[in-house]
Amino acid sequence: MSDSTNAEASSPAPSARKRRRRGGGGAGPATGESTKLRQLARTTARSRFAPIAALDEDQLELIHEATMELLENLGIEVLGEQALALFRDAGADVGADGIVRMDRALVTQTIANAPQHFTLTPRNPANALVAGGDEVHFGLVSGPPNVHDNVNGRRAGNVKDYRDMIRLGQAFDVIGFFGNQAIAPTDLPPGTRHLDTTIANLTLADKVFFATGIGAGRCRDAVELCAIARGLALDEMPTHPTVLTNINVNSPRKLDDAMAYGAMQMAMLGQAVAVTPFTLMGAMTPATMAGALVQQNAEALLGICLVQLTRPGAPVVYGGFTSNVDMRSGSPAFGTPENAFANIAGGQLARRYKLPYRTSACNASNAVDAQATWETQMALWSAVMGHGNFIYHAAGWLEGGLVASFEKVVMDCEMLQHMRRLLAPVTITREEIGLEAMRDVGPGGHFFGCDHTMARFRDAFYEPFLSDWQNHENWQLAGAKDATARATDVWRRVLKEFEAPPIDPGVAEALEAFAAHRREAIGGDEPPLEPIPL
Amino acid sequence: MNEPTDTDDEEDIVLSELDDGELVEQMHDDLYNGLKEEIEEGTHILLGRGWSPSRVLDEALVEGMRIVGVDFRDGILFVPEVLMAANAMKSGMSILRPLLAETGAESIGKVVIGTVKGDIHDIGKNLVGMMLEGAGFEVIDIGINNPVEKYLAALEEHKPDILGMSALLTTTMPYMKVVIDTLKEQGLREDYIVLVGGAPLNEEFGEAVGADAYCRDAAVAVETAKTLIAERRQQRAIG
Repeated sequence: MSDSTNAEASSPAPSARKRRRRGGGGAGPATGESTKLRQLARTTARSRFAPIAALDEDQLELIHEATMELLENLGIEVLGEQALALFRDAGADVGADGIVRMDRALVTQTIANAPQHFTLTPRNPANALVAGGDEVHFGLVSGPPNVHDNVNGRRAGNVKDYRDMIRLGQAFDVIGFFGNQAIAPTDLPPGTRHLDTTIANLTLADKVFFATGIGAGRCRDAVELCAIARGLALDEMPTHPTVLTNINVNSPRKLDDAMAYGAMQMAMLGQAVAVTPFTLMGAMTPATMAGALVQQNAEALLGICLVQLTRPGAPVVYGGFTSNVDMRSGSPAFGTPENAFANIAGGQLARRYKLPYRTSACNASNAVDAQATWETQMALWSAVMGHGNFIYHAAGWLEGGLVASFEKVVMDCEMLQHMRRLLAPVTITREEIGLEAMRDVGPGGHFFGCDHTMARFRDAFYEPFLSDWQNHENWQLAGAKDATARATDVWRRVLKEFEAPPIDPGVAEALEAFAAHRREAIGGDEPPLEPIPL
Repeated sequence: MNEPTDTDDEEDIVLSELDDGELVEQMHDDLYNGLKEEIEEGTHILLGRGWSPSRVLDEALVEGMRIVGVDFRDGILFVPEVLMAANAMKSGMSILRPLLAETGAESIGKVVIGTVKGDIHDIGKNLVGMMLEGAGFEVIDIGINNPVEKYLAALEEHKPDILGMSALLTTTMPYMKVVIDTLKEQGLREDYIVLVGGAPLNEEFGEAVGADAYCRDAAVAVETAKTLIAERRQQRAIG
């Protein structure tokens, strides 16, 4: 994709200059139309700064205490007899009304089985990632029923746009994974569209992805397809974690059977589950940060208990999706100070329980405009400073999750690269400091041409692919395009130049054959709801 | 007993001492402020003065809620305040409803509302229900995860003007077409106004599944319900 990259560590070159052919380097002509998209070299972002303690120690403990009280006294309603049986057998109190209450010792001992970190390997092992620890991964938007771009406007989610969205997700190196479903392909039957989306994820791309978790059948199909793609038998999958799902708790305090069974199916097959309460303050939780965090915490821990009871040691992720509503209309808001605080505090909670942390970088803007950017920035900064391991929806989210936007993917990737570069280690050495260079340049001089600069200028700084730094007149000559308009040019070019990663034709055929067989079996119905053990 | 007002120099208001015009205005204020007991008291007073239940409904309650609706639409009133107002309205309605039935007056409307099969999300639906009640509708909420049989049973039992369906998941919203198609098959489609709503829906979808309208939020749902019922009643009067 790129032929000029920024290396994360700069190394001084010898000061003798060599002949080289004209046109070397990466800069394009002054009109700004470069032929190749500049991207950061592919490396893993790691949280290096100390995580921000938005809650002090006492506050954290108060939240933990209230969480335990909620789980012991109020409980959480769980639908699905198989799920209730697991809780019952483990010694939880399961009411006839389906309310599950767990005492704190049981909660603590159950979640203690969860791994602190785990590795996920997609069909291309070069794209494997570690969930947990200090690794930070940015995800493609997930969930919207609509799609938008500035050329074709807003339209209902469809499979053609889904495939293009996956192509973008694959093309941008800074995107490390895909969420459950980048766009809902509403033109395909609801019971079988997961087959099309999973195959797109596996053939147009080769990165880690989440599979839609609505019911065990959809999860099982996704894991089967992953097994085919990796050349493994289904019963080998538990020792080869490949794929995740994200389930939501129906906040407040209700886990439905479809989500519970999806989670259980993934756990049975050794695949990972992110448990994410859907806690918008004022609607699904009390209109306070304290109440929202307690509820999020309790709901997430209960879901994680379900996964651990299904299969002790199954990989799990603690999910947070706490923001506020607009109290005037009841609509969700994102990228707000409340959302940002919760992104940070959620990380503190996840680390308290030694769990990998999923958070999000969302906004509620109706257009790919300044609001979309400032809200995304609030959410992104807080997600990173909260040491999010999976930062969900980090590229392409718009309109509170109702739209997946092509321009926004591009703009977000520019922001994500900024963030990745911010997290890169800095070298402080005598060589880097360059006192000799300062002496040579002298008072009032400049550094543009000195040896010290000549040795490192090309990759000294982050080079954006979307930001425009031209002077005004040059910018005018180049068409006076603002960032959103330039983003349109980028995604069109990226899609035009896209090449799918190579795949064995036999594997591609096997994937389609599996899907065809499943489409026939499912017909016009829903896939099976209940999990089937291996 | 009336609540003391904010300002020190206003006396306690005694509703029974207000003339009709002043009382109606005070009831508008009391609705706006979500004062349930005061609305009940005012309703009783007007009835006691010989007002017909219809007139109390239209001039005191419905008009008061219209003002609430305007300020809600304009972002002046917050959702919790609107819910308080709707609650106050509802308690006034509970006094009037049996009396209205006795006089044979036509109700504002009756709505059966529920979330579709496979979907347990209901916050939006609940807000719509409350707003409809706040506008004087009788609302039968059949809850969540409703297969077509449940909708049909509720329609059969309650014979509402409107069937409302809600969904949050892109995988469950297609079920709305199943319900509407079933109504058509059974020759029932024309008997009901069908409204649909939920975050992933839009107007195009509403049309595609054969609904009468898609309602993007609770306030629009109320206005749409009023408009379509009025149209239907006019058509029936003519026909």
